Amino acid sequence: MSVETDVKTLVIDEQEVSARAGQTILEVARENEINIPTLCHLDGLSDVGACRLCLVEIKGSNKLLPACVATVQEGMEVSTNTERLQKHRRTILELLFAERNHICSVCVSNGHCELQTLGQEQGLTHIRLPYRNPELSVDASHERFTLDHNRCILCTRCVRVCSEIEGAHIWDVMGRGINSLIISDLHQDWGGSACTRCGKCVQVCPTGALFDKSKIGSDHPKYPDFLPYLNLMREAQ
Amino acid sequence: MHTLLTRICNGTGTMDDLALLEDLCSTVKETSLCGLGQTAPNPVLSTLKYFRNEYLEHIVNKRCPAGVCNMEAALEVVA
Repeated sequence: MSVETDVKTLVIDEQEVSARAGQTILEVARENEINIPTLCHLDGLSDVGACRLCLVEIKGSNKLLPACVATVQEGMEVSTNTERLQKHRRTILELLFAERNHICSVCVSNGHCELQTLGQEQGLTHIRLPYRNPELSVDASHERFTLDHNRCILCTRCVRVCSEIEGAHIWDVMGRGINSLIISDLHQDWGGSACTRCGKCVQVCPTGALFDKSKIGSDHPKYPDFLPYLNLMREAQ
Repeated sequence: MHTLLTRICNGTGTMDDLALLEDLCSTVKETSLCGLGQTAPNPVLSTLKYFRNEYLEHIVNKRCPAGVCNMEAALEVVA
């Protein structure tokens, strides 16, 4: 006898879709080729719902829900691209751009940056907020990679990939709010940390905050697609 | 938000700042994960709702009706 799966049907952007119970709105939307912008979500990693870009509107609820952590419910009516959401997404992106020193023209990730791509997709033409221009350090003590805090958006993908996939848990977040900082070990230099040099954090970093020293100029595409495959192979074992 | 409010309070704010402040407040309020974020913009939003004329007075006439704000920056521009 086959095990019955609990099927939920819902509406996303006026499109009727079906999903398994326990799936997130984001998963279902992507299966049905509905694009929801995300920064902190990455296939193969756990979700934290931190970037707030995947917020969606649910009919009958005043609150906006993050699609990457909200699970599907029977009869839900989800809108992923209303004017209100677009406005909020642009403001969130503006806040990200204004928070640190994101200067695309001199960034290694120029052209391959998820933040930049999202800015373009959401029609961001200028930043209305005053730039904070914080003075942040660059950690180039590692022999292969560099960490540039100026370009970090604190998505914590590196923290999660190091802890969940590599199992080394080198990265962590220090401080709170505007003073948050990604640190290696207990705020030691990356080069002197217990890093395994696997480079997974560099591949999953959406911006140029983590980059390979051997790459010059803006020739630095990243390939985070290995994660779902890696997870699949591990489960198969 | 604090920067924008400071700017309005010292008399260098513009009408754009006011609109931006409102946008920012609504985004923070609606998109926050925790209860603190969802309620933190409330004081600003309620002052904008009930004392909007005072904001306007600061921006347009460079004057603080309550006599609380130091409008030195604005006066420097005038002088």
